[in-house]
Amino acid sequence: MADKTNTIFRALDRKASAITEFTMRQYRTKISTWVVLITGLVVISLLMLFYVDAMQRDFEAIDNDGDSVDSDGDLYPDGQERALGTSPFNELDHPGNFVPPIPPDDPEKWINEDDFDWDESPTGTRSVSVGYDDDGDCRAEDRTQSQKDTNDNGIECDIELSLSLTGNFRYDADNYVDEDPDDEAYAKEALHRASILGIGKLGFVFIISIFIPLFMATGLIRDEMTSGTMHYILTKPIARTEVFFYRIIGYLGIIWPYLIILTLISAIVTGFAGPGDSLFRFSEFGIWLAILFAAMMATLVYGMLFCFLGVMWRYGIILAIPFAAWELGMALLSMGVPESPILRFSVIGWALIIVDSASMIVWPDMALLINSGFSVEGGDSFGFEREELIGSEPLQYFFATPGLGDMSPFLSMIIATVVLLIQATALLFLGGAIFKGKEIE
Amino acid sequence: MMPDFHQEGKAETTEWQPEQQAPVILLENVSKTYGKIHALSGITLALSGGVTGILGLNGAGKSTLFKILMGKLKPSSGQVRLFGTNPWKNPAPYSRVGFVPEGEKMYDWMTAHDFISTFARLNGLTRDEAKLEADRVLDFVGLLDVAHKQIGRFSKGMRQRTKIAHALVNNPDLIILDEPLQGCDPLARTTIMNVIRELGRMGRTVIVSSHILTEIERITEQIVILHHGRLLALGNLHAIREKMDNIPHRIDIGCESPKGLAKSVIDIDSVHGIIFQHPEKLTVQTRNLGDFHSNLPKTIIDSGQKVNSIDNPDDDLASILGYLTGGGGY
Amino acid sequence: MSDQEVDLESSTDDLSYSENAPVTGQGRMDAAWGSRDGDESATAQVSSNNASVGYVFEQIYKPWNGTLNPRWMRNWAILRHHVLGIFRKGHRPWGLPTKLFIVLVFIASLADVGLTLLSALIGSPELHTMWGVNRDNLYGHVLGFFPRNMLYYPILAALLVGGIISEDRYHGTSALYFSRPISRFDYVGMKYISVAMIQAFVVLLTLMIYYFVEIIAMGRGWAWIIDTFPLFLAAFIGGILLIITYTSIGLGLSSVSKGKFFPGIGLVAIVLGSKTLAVLVSNLFERDIMYLLSPYDCLAHVGQALVGTQTTYDQYSWTWSFASLVLMNAFFLYILSSRVASMEVTRE
Repeated sequence: MADKTNTIFRALDRKASAITEFTMRQYRTKISTWVVLITGLVVISLLMLFYVDAMQRDFEAIDNDGDSVDSDGDLYPDGQERALGTSPFNELDHPGNFVPPIPPDDPEKWINEDDFDWDESPTGTRSVSVGYDDDGDCRAEDRTQSQKDTNDNGIECDIELSLSLTGNFRYDADNYVDEDPDDEAYAKEALHRASILGIGKLGFVFIISIFIPLFMATGLIRDEMTSGTMHYILTKPIARTEVFFYRIIGYLGIIWPYLIILTLISAIVTGFAGPGDSLFRFSEFGIWLAILFAAMMATLVYGMLFCFLGVMWRYGIILAIPFAAWELGMALLSMGVPESPILRFSVIGWALIIVDSASMIVWPDMALLINSGFSVEGGDSFGFEREELIGSEPLQYFFATPGLGDMSPFLSMIIATVVLLIQATALLFLGGAIFKGKEIE
Repeated sequence: MMPDFHQEGKAETTEWQPEQQAPVILLENVSKTYGKIHALSGITLALSGGVTGILGLNGAGKSTLFKILMGKLKPSSGQVRLFGTNPWKNPAPYSRVGFVPEGEKMYDWMTAHDFISTFARLNGLTRDEAKLEADRVLDFVGLLDVAHKQIGRFSKGMRQRTKIAHALVNNPDLIILDEPLQGCDPLARTTIMNVIRELGRMGRTVIVSSHILTEIERITEQIVILHHGRLLALGNLHAIREKMDNIPHRIDIGCESPKGLAKSVIDIDSVHGIIFQHPEKLTVQTRNLGDFHSNLPKTIIDSGQKVNSIDNPDDDLASILGYLTGGGGY
Repeated sequence: MSDQEVDLESSTDDLSYSENAPVTGQGRMDAAWGSRDGDESATAQVSSNNASVGYVFEQIYKPWNGTLNPRWMRNWAILRHHVLGIFRKGHRPWGLPTKLFIVLVFIASLADVGLTLLSALIGSPELHTMWGVNRDNLYGHVLGFFPRNMLYYPILAALLVGGIISEDRYHGTSALYFSRPISRFDYVGMKYISVAMIQAFVVLLTLMIYYFVEIIAMGRGWAWIIDTFPLFLAAFIGGILLIITYTSIGLGLSSVSKGKFFPGIGLVAIVLGSKTLAVLVSNLFERDIMYLLSPYDCLAHVGQALVGTQTTYDQYSWTWSFASLVLMNAFFLYILSSRVASMEVTRE
């Protein structure tokens, strides 16, 4: 031993890697490990199937402003008549009377004809002017100045977008601006994002990251203690805190690669099947990375916690199960009220901040997207037939702004990570200390 | 609490050195209670070198004693020192200890070689060193040819030997074996006893526990007797026997006419009782074994009786334990 | 030594049992291997003296001539052993936390009883419509999700099934049963019934108390009872379904695992995990189909149909949920029976 220098690699080849390796091999021999991991894979695959199905679905295009209807029965859709200056309510007055006569449009043309053209969001209390009247029914020449500027902001045919003091968007749109958006495009984009967030938050960070540690970490040390095999490990010159730590590393050695694989599969599926012109949505790798990171941190903290509960008490599981139920409640709460202070007393509250922050970074237009789906609530100027566009509701449900107040998403991500690491370290030392004072029969 | 960056098996205090003068094992007035149950009470014991047998009935406290020695249990009172160090606080002395726990639970999915080399690395060996060591100890216990078979397929004797091999991997100065012979067939028993004797000859301190007395007798004469958590006797088997002079010893003499022989034997001063249990056997009670044995041959010759056998059934561990614990003898 | 020789021939005579011989269990063991079959006609099996290799000593087996208690009596002993363990020492030890949890859940389940009493005391009809017995509250007492089926009943079932079979396998104590005249299915059946009974004690007993307290506190007459009794009965049946389903899943899991953790966590993971998954899918994609995989939601759907409250699952008929429940129960009972039938009676 003495003839070679003790490099860090040679050092780690001894106790640390022995226990880590041993733990991983032990997991491999247990059927329950495989059952649990495969179940997790099935759950995520199921969700992916539903997602792909939703992306393939044909969303019925809805004529939100009702101008594809031929009110007067002259075969010309109202929109066309209005655009060409004939009366939509007089069947004798239609563009067919023009010289040369203009044939009636396919009513389809007047569905989804005025999509969103919002590319700017207001900062602070300053309002911005967005929107463009694609179908020209606002800019029609026969309309007066005041008809074009119904919101009285001095700009014709625009939407005045402002932030209220409570942080909600407020719209004030001129009539006939962006009043018939493309439902399918909206629905797919919104559902795509909602799926990533929903699957990431509830699927990865909750279901996978809490149940797999429950199965795998609770008995990590407790099983050895009850079966008596702990004697083989503890009669070696090794501190018990070290044993605790290396066992956790071994557990992470199984679960982290597994999470990486699952995330990779999901990222590839959503990247290819997602809406848009590009073949693959590379820009969303960031959000998947954040989901993976959050899940990894959650499995770390949960692993430490459940292992610690198992060490502390033979019936540690009795504490672990209600805790899992508590975390489910916290996960649901963080979707609705992300700034609730009670979330600070959970693990998942912090882990979800990482995902939420990343979604702010990856999709800066998120709040806008959600709100444009609900924009009918901003006033009756849009006159959507549905109360909101398909997809806006789930997106609003699963999207939450990081609940740490007014700080940059990057900063809140770092703070959440630090808090999770502190939780893990505290549990490590607590677990080590409890383990150290534990008599082993 | 700090991680061990050296990983060389010196645990927390990297500078740990055994105290040279300290005995290998030192227990001072050690007690262990579980509620109202006294598992061990007031054990004071120091051991260094040689093979020592710890004897006691089931529940006498042998395993508790070992677990306290190995720092698995915390003594309720008293001091425990392993190479001069408190094992409950500091696992460092384990680098010089090998422990064979009782119970059959092992990692059945590992091969013997895997098992030993993996746990050897916990002593601070590197992977390669551990593999060489594993071969060496498996050879020592005679399992080299099955080294790469799964432990789950081993017989009880082979499992015990694997456990012993695992304890020897760090060349320990102190080896503790908790019931190593339990449940083994005679062949395995002999092999394991040979291994233990061999270890003793190599100058290691070996401690073996058992409740089967003839086994221990074949390994060692130095014994510690525990009963109901108390230290009942300590020392050489025969020396202990000598100390119990006030307790009658029993000698069976097989002969054709016990009554005829009894007439002569009764004249020996040290004889204080004679029993006829069997038509061809005479049982003599004495309080002075040495005196009796020196007079016996002459008496037999003088009596002219034919004697087939002289048997001393008391001179084994069973009866000693019986006497000491008050449960045996007659 | 010659004097130690044993007289083989004379010693065989000692094998017969005298009437006053202490009961050592030997006789029962003799009978035990027969279990159900052959108990009635125990005949002596004598080995043949012919063997191809070596010599077979004559062996004499004494048939056991006692009368065996009837099967139900033996099973009753197992059931009693398990159920009484909740209340007293000397029966199956259930572990303090489990007992504590049962008491806690029992008290927590009585929350609506307390509120009913309170509203009766105050005499406020508004409060009484909120808390007293009605269609929705009867349903909610048994099948409400929060908190009952999130925090109380699945966790209770998880704690009960935790070690019920797996611990016997782990410690080898199943041999204590199987070395007696008890068939494996009786053994499992009694375990099943005992776990179900303890759950019924919490779920159904509190439901009954709720109903009776309403009658007494509000001074309800026969007309009211005739009106509401079918509702009560429907909720009761819903509770039985709930208990059966949780017990089947739990015992199925317990029979396949060795540890105490796996069945408990497995049951909770199945109930809460599938529920979360179904909520996720239904929220995202407006598809309710995943609710068919969630035991709780199937129970709730069937329960809603039984009690006749507003159903919250409107994409398919409740018969689908019922079929799914039957399938789940059948699946886990199949696992249970096949595992128990092939269970090795050793310490694993």
